[in-house]
Amino acid sequence: MSTDASHEVRLAADTAASRAPRNTDDAGQQPGHKGGPRRKGLSERNRPLWMLIPGGALMIIIIVVPLLLGIYMSVLNLDQYTLRKWISAPLIGAENFVEAVTDSPLLHAVWLSVSYSLLAMVVTLPLGVAAAVATQNAFKGRAVIRSIFLIPYVLPSFVVATVWRTMLQPGGIVDEALATVGIHVGLWLNGPQTFWTLVLVQIWASWPFIYLLALSGLQSVDHEVHEASALDGALWWNKLRYVVFPYLKGPLSLAFLIGMLHHINNFTLPFVLFGVPAPSDVEVLPILTYVTSFQSFRFGLSAAMAFISLVLIAIPLFVYLRAVKLDDADTPGGKK
Amino acid sequence: MSTTTATRQGPATVQVDRPGSHRQHEVLRLLPGPLLVIVLVFLGALVLVPVLYIFLASVNSDIGVANGEFWPSTVTFENYSKIWTSVGLATGLTNSVLVAGATAVVSAALSVSTAFVLVRYTFRGRLSILRGLLALQSVPGTLMVLPVFVLFSSAATYLGIQVIGTQWGLFVTYLTFAMPFSTWVMVTYLRGLPKELEEAARIDGASNLGVLFRIILPLSWPGIVVSGIFAFLLGWNDVLFASVMTRPESQTAAVALQIFGASQEGGAIPYYGQMMAAALVCAAPVVILYLIFQRYLVGGLTAGGVK
Repeated sequence: MSTDASHEVRLAADTAASRAPRNTDDAGQQPGHKGGPRRKGLSERNRPLWMLIPGGALMIIIIVVPLLLGIYMSVLNLDQYTLRKWISAPLIGAENFVEAVTDSPLLHAVWLSVSYSLLAMVVTLPLGVAAAVATQNAFKGRAVIRSIFLIPYVLPSFVVATVWRTMLQPGGIVDEALATVGIHVGLWLNGPQTFWTLVLVQIWASWPFIYLLALSGLQSVDHEVHEASALDGALWWNKLRYVVFPYLKGPLSLAFLIGMLHHINNFTLPFVLFGVPAPSDVEVLPILTYVTSFQSFRFGLSAAMAFISLVLIAIPLFVYLRAVKLDDADTPGGKK
Repeated sequence: MSTTTATRQGPATVQVDRPGSHRQHEVLRLLPGPLLVIVLVFLGALVLVPVLYIFLASVNSDIGVANGEFWPSTVTFENYSKIWTSVGLATGLTNSVLVAGATAVVSAALSVSTAFVLVRYTFRGRLSILRGLLALQSVPGTLMVLPVFVLFSSAATYLGIQVIGTQWGLFVTYLTFAMPFSTWVMVTYLRGLPKELEEAARIDGASNLGVLFRIILPLSWPGIVVSGIFAFLLGWNDVLFASVMTRPESQTAAVALQIFGASQEGGAIPYYGQMMAAALVCAAPVVILYLIFQRYLVGGLTAGGVK
């Protein structure tokens, strides 16, 4: 990444230099920014800020307002009888939160969600990197192979789940195939092994995402680096470990964060794979929140659970936002 | 992320050797030949066997699928004519195309203009908006579904606007949830466009709207296509909101298939063949879109960084 950065700085410097005379008024407007490129030279009155209104209004009405509404609902005693007139539903303070933590499967669900996400991640990372490393050099049919590798990622989750649900039926194709080599696993879609089923299907569906990001990392390796290590006669393993992998650190950390968020938030896969009510070993956070509101009609409790999971998600999200901010938000127009 | 995509198109990848030349091949190779083949075959099979199975099972008999056949003992294409009414795919696909299609078009249009303002103008709160766009991408749907549902049912109670159970409710929801990512894709795309053309147009006296329509739109259609497709996929793939906010006549294909699958529990042998046929039909538009626009989509994905 370091070479990219220097390349970018060079370009930025060029742009800044060529525009310097016109942009003197700009400097005071964004204090705290190092001398990045400054654009515009447009009068301030001429900014079409009204174009932000439609999108902004939508996001405020459909995301921000419901988010606040959800927080308010978490302190209400809300069930199917009081939902219709939720404004006058009885306030019960922190009771929902107390019940969620002490007397509901919430903590178990948090544990399931986190461990399943991590397990799936631990397997998808090497798979994705191996795939990226294998398709890095050009060979005949590489384009086809790349397309094939991305299929699981492109297939809708509900399709993936429906197909695996069929393949994992007792006596289905997976059981038959394993029986021919003498392995009998037992039930996939019921009972304690469902957790591992979920992990396996999630791995199948999400390794191509790691592959994509690893591939973009590999493409940032300068050709000179390849040349140099070829001249040095580095062994493939050493070359991978000491020359190539350092380039993957950034993209893979990003992939890790996004992947974790994606797994923890994944509702469709467990929902379609196991149906509701789900076996207790796959009652991950999204499923539990959904079941609590739309099966048990404990809306207040469910809102409390949702709030707790938001706090949980905020941790990787915060790290992610800090990581991305450096790349983009700080240097408006800095690319190219 | 956009750093890498930017440089990929930039001078950094101007290489001495033509891609595919023998020398370049040797220099870039990271794995010894046999290991390379093993990795490719393993991962290829991992993907292709289940994909092939979907097709084979969709032309198999239900008993064949239930008994774990990979190659069908009897081949029939009947399933493909049954699913339109049994699964309800005729209604489902119509609704999915309508809702996801409308989401794609409107979201692409809104995100271009939003991204244009965010990239080309400076104003107070601009960075907060950009950061907010990233944060909103990660707000989990399960968190939102109940409050949105309550909000929509309140709209019916207090304002007399019936939203729940209609395609409009889904459309507005998908549109909103697609906006953060679509806008982000457009932001990264517009950043890559040279500003010289716009400046020239402004010197010629073009207005803001003139610049947007005459300069930005024609230059940025690959980005627009990508952000539109992602919005389409969001609507097409969603089960959560659609399962709560639709009636049978406004059901999307995803929910139709999910309900059909869930209703097969217990009793006689499930209609596996029809399930697989319907799964294939639901996946087909997505896979075709992806194959056509693959080049742009992969770039957009790594630029946006999030699915």
